[in-house]
Amino acid sequence: MNSRRALTRNRLLMSATFAAGLLVSGPGALARGSDVPTGAGPSPLFGATPFTTRMLLLEEFGRQTVPTVDNPNAPRLPQAGGCDRGPDGQQLDQFLAQPMSPLPQREANTAYPNPWAARIGQCVRPLATSAIEGRPPGEFFAHQRWSEFLPAVYAQTATAGARKNSGLRDAYQRHQYSVGEFGPGGLYHNAMPDNSGPGGTTNSIEIRFHPKMPVQGPNALWTFDGTFPPKLMIARYGEPVLFRQYNALPIDPAVNGGFGAHTLTTHHHNGHNPGESDGFTSAYFFPGQYYDYRWPMLLAGYDRINLDRSEPHAATPDGQGGTVRIPGAWREVMSTHWFHDHMLDFTAQNVYKGSAAMMNIYSAVDRGNETIGCNYAAPNNPNNVNLCLPSGSALDWGNRDYDVNLMIADKAWDKKGQLYFNIFNTDGFLGDRVTVNGQWMPYFDVRARRYRFRILNASVSRYYKIAIVTAAGVRVPFHMVANDGNIMEHAVAFPNAQSQDLPTQGIAERYDIVVDFKNYAPGTKIYFVNLAEHDDGRRPKKLIALKDALSSKFDDPAVGKFLELRVAAYSGVDRSMNPADYVKGKLTMVPLPEITPQEIAAARKRTFEFGRSNGTDNQPWTIKTDGGRGLNMDPHRVSAAPSEGSLEVWTIKNTVDAKEPIAGWDHPVHIHFEEGRILNRDGKAPPLWEEGARKDVYRIGGFVDAGQSLQVALRFREFMGTYMEHCHNTQHEDRSMLLRWDINKPGQLVYIPTPVPEWEGVLYEASFVPKN
Amino acid sequence: MGTAVARRSLQGMAASVGLAMLAAAGPAAAPAPAEAQASASPWHGEYFPNAKLVTQDGKTVRFYDDLIKDRVVVINFMFTSCRDVCPMDTAQMRAVQAALGDRVGKDIFFYSISVDPKTDTPAVLKSYMQTFKVGPGWTFLTGSQADVELLQKKLGVAAVTPASVKDHDTRFIVGNEATGQWMKRSAHEHPQVMADLVGGYLFNGKVKDTKARPSYSNAVQINNQSEGAALFRTRCASCHTLGGGPGLGPDLHGVVNKHPQAWLARWIKEPDKMLAEKDPRAVALAAQWRNLPMPNLKLDDDDAAALIDYLRQETRKTAKPEHTAQAGRQGQ
Repeated sequence: MNSRRALTRNRLLMSATFAAGLLVSGPGALARGSDVPTGAGPSPLFGATPFTTRMLLLEEFGRQTVPTVDNPNAPRLPQAGGCDRGPDGQQLDQFLAQPMSPLPQREANTAYPNPWAARIGQCVRPLATSAIEGRPPGEFFAHQRWSEFLPAVYAQTATAGARKNSGLRDAYQRHQYSVGEFGPGGLYHNAMPDNSGPGGTTNSIEIRFHPKMPVQGPNALWTFDGTFPPKLMIARYGEPVLFRQYNALPIDPAVNGGFGAHTLTTHHHNGHNPGESDGFTSAYFFPGQYYDYRWPMLLAGYDRINLDRSEPHAATPDGQGGTVRIPGAWREVMSTHWFHDHMLDFTAQNVYKGSAAMMNIYSAVDRGNETIGCNYAAPNNPNNVNLCLPSGSALDWGNRDYDVNLMIADKAWDKKGQLYFNIFNTDGFLGDRVTVNGQWMPYFDVRARRYRFRILNASVSRYYKIAIVTAAGVRVPFHMVANDGNIMEHAVAFPNAQSQDLPTQGIAERYDIVVDFKNYAPGTKIYFVNLAEHDDGRRPKKLIALKDALSSKFDDPAVGKFLELRVAAYSGVDRSMNPADYVKGKLTMVPLPEITPQEIAAARKRTFEFGRSNGTDNQPWTIKTDGGRGLNMDPHRVSAAPSEGSLEVWTIKNTVDAKEPIAGWDHPVHIHFEEGRILNRDGKAPPLWEEGARKDVYRIGGFVDAGQSLQVALRFREFMGTYMEHCHNTQHEDRSMLLRWDINKPGQLVYIPTPVPEWEGVLYEASFVPKN
Repeated sequence: MGTAVARRSLQGMAASVGLAMLAAAGPAAAPAPAEAQASASPWHGEYFPNAKLVTQDGKTVRFYDDLIKDRVVVINFMFTSCRDVCPMDTAQMRAVQAALGDRVGKDIFFYSISVDPKTDTPAVLKSYMQTFKVGPGWTFLTGSQADVELLQKKLGVAAVTPASVKDHDTRFIVGNEATGQWMKRSAHEHPQVMADLVGGYLFNGKVKDTKARPSYSNAVQINNQSEGAALFRTRCASCHTLGGGPGLGPDLHGVVNKHPQAWLARWIKEPDKMLAEKDPRAVALAAQWRNLPMPNLKLDDDDAAALIDYLRQETRKTAKPEHTAQAGRQGQ
C-alpha cells in the first residue's frame, strides 16, 4: 500500500500531453508504472480535450407489439462468422428488425436447437442436443402467472461485439426525431457526438469514448445490439414487457480482449419480477441462444392492496391524455431502473464491458408529461395525480426532452485506446477516466428551464460524491426527487444542513434530481464535479473539498469536473413541477408504504454481515447470515427463504474488527426484488434523503453518508423464486460477496433446484439450506 | 508479446503487432479499422513473471513457461507450519482433485506455493505432501520471498494488511492461461462446485459433463440442515467421514462415545493448543494419523456444541458401519 504512488492530475495531464506528441521533460513527466488507480498507467487521450464531445442520449430499445402468430419461415439468429466472432452486423440488424420468432412461451423453448449448434460442434464439441432458449427448462423457471401478465410489448436485442450503429432503432424512438427537442431545430435532433450530419438518426455512430479516440474493437466492448448510444428501456405500468436477449458473442471464450465472459444472465435491478426473470447468477445462457425475460410491470401489493382499483394514483397513462387504473400500491411505484449482466464470477467484467442499460418506468404519477393533470395545480383533485416532473409535453407519456438519463462509469483503456480491465485487481477495479453515457467528459446543451436528471452510478467499484457548480465554483441549487429510482415522500433541497452536495453515490445507486437553469444566462457553463477520491477499489479514500476539486488538488484523476452543461435560451413556458412545492411540510409526492410498529415488532429478523470471514484467512468478501459462518457464494445454497406475503427486517452490517482498520472496506449492498425502507442507520434516524425514501442499495462503511450498520424493512409479495443479495462493488461480488435467497410459497417443501447451464442444455442440481 | 499474440491468433484473435503501435503514435493518426485495433488479452507471458520456483523434488521451474502456460491451473498459497486454516484448504483442494480424477496432471495442474520459504524447504514440502497423501499432478513450490510476493501480487492475492505470513490470502486462483479467464474461489466451497468450474466451464464445456443429476421433475424434498450439519459439511468433511471410512483423518461415526464431551469440544476448538500442551489423548491421536495436524478452524463453544450434537445424532441415526476405521474403535 505504502509503495503505491498516487497519480496526480498534473502528472496525468503531462503524460497526456506527451501522448499528444509534445516533448515533456522533468521529473514525474511519465507516470508509467504507477499502480493508481488502474494498475496500467494513465489511459491515453489521443489529443482529446475535456468537454469537446457531445453527450449521447440513451437510445430507446422500443416497444413492439408481441405477434400473435408465429411465422414458421422466420429466420433464426444469423450464424456466427467463426469461432472467434459473432454474426455479420448487417445480417444481425436485418434479423433484429424482423418480428420475434419463435413466440415467447411459459416454459423455456427447447423445441428448437441452438441455431449455432453446428458451429459450436466445430468450435467446442459436437452437441447431442441443444435448445434455442437458454432459460432453464420446465416448471422451475417457467414464467409465473404467465397468462395473467402476458407480455403485450417486447424488445429484442443481441449482446454483440462493438460495431457501428446502423440506425436500426431510429423508428422505435417514441419521439421519432420529430417532436419537441428531438424534432428538427430541437436541441437533441442531432444524435451525433460531433453534431455532424442532418440529424434524426443514430446511424453511423461508432463506439468511441471521444471522436478523437480510436473506435473500440468487437472484443473490447460487448453491448446490447453491439452499438452506441447505450440503451434505454421505456415501459409503463400495466403493460408487461418481454425482453428477448440473444447472445451473439464469440463461441471462443478467449476472444474477449482480456476480460468478460461470453455467457450471460441479465438482472433487472429492483424489478418487481418473478425469480425466473430476475437474472439469477447461475441461470446463464450461451452464444447462439436467447433468454426471454418477462417483466410484468405490476405495482407491488397487486394481490392485496387496492384490489378494486379505486385509488386514482394507482394508474398508468392510457396514451390519450387519461389513465387506466390498476391494482396494487401506488406508494410503491418505481421510476428509474437499470438492468445489467449478473454472470457468476464475471459480473464486474461484463457490466464494465457494456452489458448495462437503463429503464424508465412510467405511471400516472410519473407520466413523463409535464402538462397533463398536474398535481400542483389541484393537489386534492383525484384527476390531478401527475407530479409533472420535468419531461416535455409533445407525447402523451414518456417525454425525454427535459428528462435525461446519465450513466456515469469510470473506464480505462490501453495504449491502443481499447477498453482495459484488470481482472486480477479484486480489491475493486477503478478506471481513471469518467464517462457519461459512454463519452469521456462530454458536454450537454440544456435549455434555461427545469430538468430532471436520472443519475446512475454504473461503475464497478467507484463511488461518487457529485457537486453541481458554475464555472466560478458557485453551487447550483437542486432538489432530489427520487432515491434509487423511487420517488420520495418529499423533495429534498440541496445544499442542506446535512450535505452541500448530492449524497455519496455507491455503485448502482440512482438519484433523480431536478435542477432549474432559468436563472442562468444562455452561454453559462455548469459542471458536474466528483468529490470522492479513491486510491484503490476498496472504498473512497477521502472527500475532496470543492475548491480543491476545482483546482486540481487531488491525486485521483477521476476527481473534478466530468460533465459540462451549456445553457441555451428557452422560449417556452416551463410548466413542470417546482420541487420546492414538495419539500417537507408542503405537498407530498409519493408517501411511504404503511408499515405498522406491530408489524416491525413481529417481523422475522435476519442479519447479514459483510466482511472478513472467521479464521485467519484474508478474505474480506464473505457474508455471514444470522451470525453464522462467513460464507462464500455457492448458487446451491439458499441463505434465506422468506415466505411470499411476509414482511421481514434485515440488518445489513459491516464487519468491524478491532485488529483491522475495517473502515477500509465499504460495501454498497443490493437486495434484489424489493426496495426497502431504511428504519435506522447505526441506530439513529437515517439522513434527510433516506427518511422518505425507498432504497434498493444500502451503503455501509466508513465513508461519508453511510454507517456501519442499518436496518431495513422489506416485503416479499406476488412472486416466488431465486433471488440474490450482494455487494454491488461487483469485484467484491465476483469474489463471493454474493448470496442466494429464495421467496418461497408458504408451506413450500421443495427448494428450487439449482440450474447448471451447459452447451447441451440446463441441468439441475439439488439446492441446500444451511440452516433454517 | 509476439509469442503470445501468435499463439493466441490460433484462437482467432485479430491482433496485429505492427498496428499495435499505430494508435500510440499520436492523435493525428486516423483510427484504423476496428478489427486491426483489437487488443489481445494481456494476461499472458507479458503479464506473468517467469519467477524461479523450486518444487518439492528440488527441481527449479519457471512460473510462466513451466507451470501455467497453456494450462488450466488451480493455485493457492500456504505454509506447512500453519495450524489453522491451511490444513483444511489443503484437504479441500485434495477433495477437488479427487473429484477431477485423473485429469489432474493431464489437462489440469494444481500448485501450492509456500509463503514461508525459510521454513518450507523442498524436503519439508515433500513430507507435508506425504502427510496429506497428495496425488499426482499437484506440485508444491517454494521460492524467494520476493518472488512469492510478486506472484501473490500478480495473481491478485497480495494481503491488504500484510501483518505476517499468516495473513496471506487463502483463496484458490483458478484459470485457463490460454483463454485468459481467471477466477478466485474460496477454499470453503463445495469441492464439486469447484471441480465443475475447473473441469467444465474453464474448458468452455469441451469436456462433456456426464455426472448423473436428477431430472428437475424428480427433485426431492430438501430438509433444512442443522447448524451442525452445515459446519460438518464445510469444516470437517474434507478430512472426515461419518461412517464412510477413514479419510485424511478418522471416520467420526461414534466418535462422541470415544472421548469425554468436554475434551472433544476443546479438541474441536483448539487442537493446536492441546498438541502444544502435549495432551496425551491429542498426542496419541496425532501419532495415529501421521501427525497431520487437526486444524484450528476458529470455532467457538456454540459451534463445537452444534457439531457434537450433530455427530451424536448421526451416530444414533445410522447403524454401525460395516468397516471400522480404527482398531479399538468402540461401537455406539
